[in-house]
Amino acid sequence: MDEQTTVSCKDRVMNRIECEHICPRSKTFFKTRECAVWGLWGLSVVIGALAVAVTLFVVAHRQYALYEATHDNFFTFMVDVLPYLWIIMFALMVGVAVYNLRHTKGGYRYPLWKIFGSSMVLSLAGGTGLHLLGMGYTVDHGLGMMGIYPSEEKKEMRMWQNPDDGRLLGKVSALPLPPEAPGIVTFTDVSGKDWKVDVSDLAPHELDLLANEENVRLIGVMTEGDMLFHSCGAFPWLLDKPVRREDLEAARVAFEDKIHGYEERLEEKMPQLRGFDDEEGETEELKDDDSPCATIAPVKRMRRGEE
Amino acid sequence: MEQLPSLPASDEEIVKNTLTDPNQYGLLMERYEAKLKRYVTRLGIRNTDDQLDVLQEIFIKAYRNLNGFDTSLSFSSWIYRIAHNEAISFYRKKNVRPEGHLVGDGDEILGFLASSQEGEEVKFDKVINADEVNRALEHLDEKYREPIILRFFEHKEYDEISDILEIPIGSVGTLLHRGKKQLANVLNKDILRI
Repeated sequence: MDEQTTVSCKDRVMNRIECEHICPRSKTFFKTRECAVWGLWGLSVVIGALAVAVTLFVVAHRQYALYEATHDNFFTFMVDVLPYLWIIMFALMVGVAVYNLRHTKGGYRYPLWKIFGSSMVLSLAGGTGLHLLGMGYTVDHGLGMMGIYPSEEKKEMRMWQNPDDGRLLGKVSALPLPPEAPGIVTFTDVSGKDWKVDVSDLAPHELDLLANEENVRLIGVMTEGDMLFHSCGAFPWLLDKPVRREDLEAARVAFEDKIHGYEERLEEKMPQLRGFDDEEGETEELKDDDSPCATIAPVKRMRRGEE
Repeated sequence: MEQLPSLPASDEEIVKNTLTDPNQYGLLMERYEAKLKRYVTRLGIRNTDDQLDVLQEIFIKAYRNLNGFDTSLSFSSWIYRIAHNEAISFYRKKNVRPEGHLVGDGDEILGFLASSQEGEEVKFDKVINADEVNRALEHLDEKYREPIILRFFEHKEYDEISDILEIPIGSVGTLLHRGKKQLANVLNKDILRI
């Protein structure tokens, strides 16, 4: 009986092969499929590497040095600035790479951790290389130019282009700037709007910065109506430049010195503030001071942080 | 001078020949029909018509994909892999679960349970019959069942099981070890003393 079944099965298969003209698929088909799987793996590693490059670019260029200028504390700053889209993209691409590698001819022979690890290490190493070649900025900037993607550059610009919160991004439009008695200058922000900026509180090196016709970040406060901005500090716009750790450390030191200078001014005014324990009281009292820089938000934040 | 008897062609040679002469495929089918029939039965396809359908599909699929046969594997592992995939497709299509696992006769089962692989020492107090092992296999987690069947009832090596199930060799060892442990727990504790 079993013999009969065996014979019958063989005959049926041979008949089907003949009647249905079944032919073995060509070698090219299998080679193409294998190439496609490897190609998709390669593509996912490359996209993963680009995601790492943009993430590194964002992480390296974010202005940790000046975080009190934009955020209440370092934690809220980090939550706000982490490039979630690219981190998710990296994770997704590692997943796709693992899936494709597992589906290559011999992919199943390797343990998952090896496949996962190799895909991740390749993306991370490639991403670091691409970041060093400046691809992180190029990708972020390029995609941002297309208008469909909110680039990190645009986000950073939005963060700094916020005069109501005491931040302004742009460049001085009236040059040359007299270094001894600068007074008030005309400043054009990145949206093309002109401002009168009081630069009397700026140090000479900050005035030099304003004079070099590049984008500059200002911290300060709006005074006397809508279009007068009292500048309390000027910092270079670093997003389109390679940033070294020393630059960031120097920027941090400069920022702290600046803010501590204003804090000292605030301390000098403290005797006048007796009876005004709350922050609002301080602010009210010091509005009559010559320079409003002692009461800008970064000063308060840094004081809170030090307490 | 006495002539040495010629060795039968290997599976791989027949595959090569089949690509130029399709009739050669019959030789491969003759070699594997009985083995694969037993295997799909062990995987739980008990109905004779279903078995025939699945067998046909296995051989047709293997024929269609002959050019994709990975020569780094043995033909046996390759066609067992197709059989494994076909059995899974069959259950998916029919939306049914395996109908028990007819694993083999008493000798095979005794051999399996007495095996001391992976350091498991199994001794018997009483005679165990095939039904009990079959029942225990039904209670075994799906992931352990097939490695156990391939190793102890189809007598496949670890690398072959790895190629058939498309899992790393290390995982084969782990699944077998855990599978045996679970099987020992599932089996009547009055019968076994481990």
